Amino acid sequence: MANVTQSTAVGTAAAVRSEFDAKARSQSSIIFGRFVRHRAAMISLGLLLLLVLAAFLVPPLLPYNYQDTSSGGFLKPGGGHLLGTDQLGRDTLAQLLRGTQFSLAIAFTVAISSTVVGVVIGAVAGYLKGFLDNALMRLVDLFLIVPQIALAAILVHAWSSTWWVVSIVLALFNWMSIARITRGEALSLSAREFIEASRAAGAGTWHIVFKHLIPNMVGTITVNATLSVSTAVLTEAALSFIGLGVQLPDTSLGLIVNDNYTQVLLRPWLFWGPFLAIVLISMTISFIGDGLRDAFDPRQTKVRA
Amino acid sequence: MRRSKAIPAIAVMAGAALMLTACGGSGGGDQGSGSTSGGATSGAIAKGESGDTYTAPKVNDMGAVVVSTDKPFVAYNNATADSVQSYNSYALIQVLARPFILDGNNKVLLNKDVMDSVDVTSTSPNQVVTWKIKKGVEWSDGAPWNCKDFYLAWLSESGQDVKPDKTTYFNPGSTTGYSQISSAKCQDDQTLVTTFSTPFGDYKSLFGISDEILPAHILEKQTGISDITQVTPQSPADVLTKVSTFWNTGWKGFKADLAPASGPYKISNWTQGQSITLVRNDKWKGNPGGPSQITLKALPDSNAQVQALQNGEEQVLSSAQPDPNAASSLQSLGSSGITYGANAGLNFEHLDLNFKRPLFQDEAVRKAFGQCINRNELVDKLIKQVQPDAKPFNSVIFFPGQPGYTDNYSDKLIANPSTAKQTLTADGWAPGPDGIMAKGGQKLSFKISHTDIPRRKQTVALLQSECKAAGIDIQDDTDPHFLDKRVSDGDYDVALFAWSVAPFHSAGITTYQTGGNQNYQGISVPAADDAFKKALAQTDASAANGDYQAADKAIAESYGTFPLFQPPNMWAYTSGIDKAYFQSYYGALWDANEWQKPNS
Amino acid sequence: MFQYLIRRLLISIPILLIGSFLLFLLVASAGDPLAALKSKPGVTAAQIHTLSVQLGLDHPVLVRYWNWLTGFVRGDWGVSVALGEAQTPVIDTISSALWITMRLVIGAELIALVLGISVGVFSAVRQYSIFDYIMTSVAFVMFSMPIACVAVVIKGYGIQFNDVLVSLHLKRWLTTAGPPPGGFGNNLGQVIVNYTGTFILPTISLMTISFAAYSRFQRASMLETLNADYVRTARAKGLSASRVLFRHAMRNALIPVSTLFALNIGAIIGGAIITEHVFGWNGMGTVLVSAVTNYDPPTLMGWFAVTATVVVVFNLLSDLLYGILDPRIRLG
Repeated sequence: MANVTQSTAVGTAAAVRSEFDAKARSQSSIIFGRFVRHRAAMISLGLLLLLVLAAFLVPPLLPYNYQDTSSGGFLKPGGGHLLGTDQLGRDTLAQLLRGTQFSLAIAFTVAISSTVVGVVIGAVAGYLKGFLDNALMRLVDLFLIVPQIALAAILVHAWSSTWWVVSIVLALFNWMSIARITRGEALSLSAREFIEASRAAGAGTWHIVFKHLIPNMVGTITVNATLSVSTAVLTEAALSFIGLGVQLPDTSLGLIVNDNYTQVLLRPWLFWGPFLAIVLISMTISFIGDGLRDAFDPRQTKVRA
Repeated sequence: MRRSKAIPAIAVMAGAALMLTACGGSGGGDQGSGSTSGGATSGAIAKGESGDTYTAPKVNDMGAVVVSTDKPFVAYNNATADSVQSYNSYALIQVLARPFILDGNNKVLLNKDVMDSVDVTSTSPNQVVTWKIKKGVEWSDGAPWNCKDFYLAWLSESGQDVKPDKTTYFNPGSTTGYSQISSAKCQDDQTLVTTFSTPFGDYKSLFGISDEILPAHILEKQTGISDITQVTPQSPADVLTKVSTFWNTGWKGFKADLAPASGPYKISNWTQGQSITLVRNDKWKGNPGGPSQITLKALPDSNAQVQALQNGEEQVLSSAQPDPNAASSLQSLGSSGITYGANAGLNFEHLDLNFKRPLFQDEAVRKAFGQCINRNELVDKLIKQVQPDAKPFNSVIFFPGQPGYTDNYSDKLIANPSTAKQTLTADGWAPGPDGIMAKGGQKLSFKISHTDIPRRKQTVALLQSECKAAGIDIQDDTDPHFLDKRVSDGDYDVALFAWSVAPFHSAGITTYQTGGNQNYQGISVPAADDAFKKALAQTDASAANGDYQAADKAIAESYGTFPLFQPPNMWAYTSGIDKAYFQSYYGALWDANEWQKPNS
Repeated sequence: MFQYLIRRLLISIPILLIGSFLLFLLVASAGDPLAALKSKPGVTAAQIHTLSVQLGLDHPVLVRYWNWLTGFVRGDWGVSVALGEAQTPVIDTISSALWITMRLVIGAELIALVLGISVGVFSAVRQYSIFDYIMTSVAFVMFSMPIACVAVVIKGYGIQFNDVLVSLHLKRWLTTAGPPPGGFGNNLGQVIVNYTGTFILPTISLMTISFAAYSRFQRASMLETLNADYVRTARAKGLSASRVLFRHAMRNALIPVSTLFALNIGAIIGGAIITEHVFGWNGMGTVLVSAVTNYDPPTLMGWFAVTATVVVVFNLLSDLLYGILDPRIRLG
């Protein structure tokens, strides 16, 4: 326990020192500086960028496109097919990269839209309090009482299994936790002097919410948004497994993994590629989230070995 | 009379459209070891089979067996519209006795353990069929299995019990054949005489093939009716309501006192959604079955079935919705004493071209589309992992192995894009700048519509690249609800789906006859219409064979519908059992009474 | 406390009512329950009409909701309308599935909770240690691992283990496919052997994902409380390290995990869908998947009503737990 106390002390000292540097630094550059020094987060960011670049830039360079069925089914890796072919004779690497594209697209759509909805609802509720707050929070309760995956399954089955329908449906049942967290923060912020001051100066509700409240919650919001990216990747994979997620001609990493998981012993290359891609995405994004949280929250900055 | 026999295998068409496609998709077995063994395929012939008859053979006791299949047993009465499905039949085949049974090749056999004879006793003015029941056959509760039970089957499925509001009292899954019976009379306890208003060659498909002979004495006791044969479709409303309510709802699930057995086994236990257990029926008069107890367990994941088999938790595995990955695991288990088998199901995937679309009124287009289709590639990549000896399917009326099955399609679906291109060029089509053929400003482009089963998507993906070379542009139209309404409304260019049909040929008539009930695509082939008309006038199914063949050929020559392949079934069993075979209609338990230990 | 409980219960009722109505609309508009029948060859319009009258599908949606609601309260949850389901009463389907699922998941979930909390606390205390990095990576691999794949691998080892038992002239012990159809046995010894043999493999596979979630959550909230002022104060007062850790920090850090557990329990009761599927336990998850794929509104509604009620009840329990864990919160 002693070393915890000690390291906290050192950490605080480090933070204090950096804030009293010769050059006056803006809040954002301090945060950026802290983030850059978070090793795991930086490595993760690099890996994620590499993966994104690969997913979008490599496919045109491959000898086969993802639709080409001219090769035999289940070829072993080698020759023109670096990761072999699938049942229909399509290049596995091309499929994998395309799956990564779709999974990333789904993940970011879900993260961005659920964050926007959650933040707006949470901030408005927390700021206005009273009846509206109560009503909005009951709305959150309403959405929370049914398992997300069940509703997603119904809607995807009723509408269609394209990637954007899946994204919208996942976003629809993913904003509640962000809304709750934002509301909490908005509640405490709205009691602060600068909000009262601008209210006294006659600023409207929307002005206060968007110009004052939300900018001050950027830390929490970013951290939660990154978390919802990895949740989205994993939820989509689970939906795909029960046959109610994205379906061909669209695809996703979850779909590819679930097509191939029983091949893990027979044709390991079919399984490990997409599996590693999922792990990589969810893991790097969480580390980035960790890094962001540490960067935004000075109390949590510790000296790392 | 124009309706095909609606059969328990509905799971294959509607069910498969909706089936849980969890781990399916790709997979397979190019390792080729331990594929279908000789033992597995010869299992199609029952041990008790002799000519056109069947008698349960003498076998040795083999103790308890556990069998797995995809879905659970739901109802003892498998004849109502809301219960009919093959997974009920899979258990009922051993529980409910029937005049005719089907062997592994779908050959119709007279069940000599319970019947004396079934004959057409008159053909004019009306067809009359007489059913003679063997004396002494009993239900497991001791009541006689007799003409009353047959009569109830007709009463409930005749479709003649119409209420003023046009609905019927009884709620049967199908009225085919029964609706043509104008009178059913019990001459005595052992003899039923049925008179048909119009000829019906497939009379052997009635009274039992679809598990419809239920215990009338139970219904009498429950409803307080003293003699069911006194009730007719024209009886007073209160009587019909009483009787039909019990028939519609009283036999759901399994209640021991309401659900006796007439076959070699009786149901001893049922756990909803999980399993059903059968034990020997001590009132059964034929030779007793080999297994002392049969547990039929529902395991929706076929990979889980494989591991359960490997772990000795079950002795027989069967799946009508096989997963290629599971199939390849099974095929590699030959060394651990597991025998694997796969055969074609009683259904076929096909492409229907919509004649209401101007594009397909052009014969050259239909012909060229057919010529670019490579069915061997479809079979190789989609089916062979499960069924190594699978072949393209070449008829729309007959199944392979039935007398009359001829290859009408291999010279039409020739997998040759350049011939297809020539066919189009000869008709005035010319390639546009994008490589797609066009004529008079119209591009040769159409959609293939289907439900969201992975195999269908894969089929379309393969067709797209096959026909691209011929300058034909195919769009994929995946719609989970395609079979709900769009298919019957004819709202498609080309439809890709499966017909699942009983092995009785009259099934095809309403689909391909001009104006037929299931003729959604608007096909009209005069030669086929004539042949169907002739076939329907026959009172015996085999006499109509030639007419059906002529119809089949004429339909093929119209280039309006292209059969592709038959989705397979698979099964496997451990070395503790001498043989097992997946009967495409009744599943793995069809011959369970014949099972014993090998070399015993 | 009692008053608070009553008030919360009273708020829950309108939420459940509105929720059930919205779900009813959603479910009713998602498809046509007789579609499968309509597309079946040889089915006449009269047959479809008969069935639709019998199932009450010919009424407008509001009337159907009212009928459903009044029936539900009286214990009549309607019958399945999916083709081939033989109009099985929904209450039978749901209650037997719920029993299967509960047996499977509760033990696994509790073990995962205890392990997850321990690992989370330890990781937080030793933040950025090797242990922390390893557990973080393990958690993410487990998170991302398709549970089906874990199951297949675990079952493979289980089968090999059984093979070893057989070679030692013992009986096979571990099973891979659902509860034994004939029950667990007659005498106590037999029951214990069968029971453990049946549950070990699915429990391990179920635990992995939940464990990952709990450990991550516990770590995060533990980090937060370790840095809170009152913990610092406690330390400054010279309290022993373990007392600070367990009495002050951990106690508060349990609050978010208990919320997660309460929310999770709904999803869990709703079925460990994938685990159930691959282990052949046909419980709530299987019911949901088949009700969705076969489009069976009454079964879906029954399913939702049960899971929603469970969620509401567990949320209430977790709120009560807050009061015990955090002395600052007073309910009343």
